[in-house]
Amino acid sequence: MPPQVQQFLDALTATPPLEGYLVVGAFMFAIGAWGALIRRNAVVIFMCVELMINAVNLTLVAFADYLPNAGGLGVSYAVLVIAIAAGEIAVGLAIVLAVFRSRRTVNVDEVTSMKG
Amino acid sequence: MIVAFFFLAGMTLVSALCVVVSRNVVHSALFMSGSFLGIAGFFVMLNAPALAAFQVLIYVGAVTVLMLFGIMFTQNPQARRYRTIINRQFWAGLLVAAGVGAFLAYVLSAEDWAGVEAGNGPRQVADLGRDLLGVSPGAEVFTLLFEVVSVLLLVAIVGAIVISRRKSGGGIDRGAEE
Repeated sequence: MPPQVQQFLDALTATPPLEGYLVVGAFMFAIGAWGALIRRNAVVIFMCVELMINAVNLTLVAFADYLPNAGGLGVSYAVLVIAIAAGEIAVGLAIVLAVFRSRRTVNVDEVTSMKG
Repeated sequence: MIVAFFFLAGMTLVSALCVVVSRNVVHSALFMSGSFLGIAGFFVMLNAPALAAFQVLIYVGAVTVLMLFGIMFTQNPQARRYRTIINRQFWAGLLVAAGVGAFLAYVLSAEDWAGVEAGNGPRQVADLGRDLLGVSPGAEVFTLLFEVVSVLLLVAIVGAIVISRRKSGGGIDRGAEE
């Protein structure tokens, strides 16, 4: 096997650096923030918030795996973040349903007062 | 590993972008589950297989189904034009988000990460369980956090029921009368 091929195969099986995970997390957070800023549908805004939460989870777990002094505790924090996000999505969708019931819309531009 | 990394990164980021720009809300929800699956793959690569299982169960399973329920309860006649689903801050929002993303990526990759290497995560599920219950040294605070999160989930369940419950009106939807 020629050395170039061997080099190429080594590069293919190398472990990705920490920066790779962090940059993917950063871009995913930016995409989620963009969606939360521009979309009108409240349910889609919730999806974008979930994307941001997942990006932060990815960063936490990457740090937990790569930093020698973290002790792997970022994974435990990620479990707590998932639980809190689940609670948030339950309450948030309940609010969206209540708003839809009184206004017949989930368009956040049209929901400007709290009293229905 | 690099191949898997780029595959998962492409899947995650493209699905996330499709969530934002998809005109159909149901497609957005399905793309969101694809993005979460990519994140679960990252968790496997990062020595956290139990967390990947949680991710698939909770996000790909439960949250996506909850989102689809939310869509089906609130579906109006579908608006398919970008002008009606996206507000006027399209370019300003893109500018802000691209700035945030570029800034975060620059700061995170300009840092000197010498001396870090993979393999410190709790690969054994038993280790993750000891961390979560605060048994392992250095993780004592999780005893408190675990209990607080369980109370918070209970509060969230009760709050969701109270908020989304129909007001007493003989079962008639009050919104339909107004």
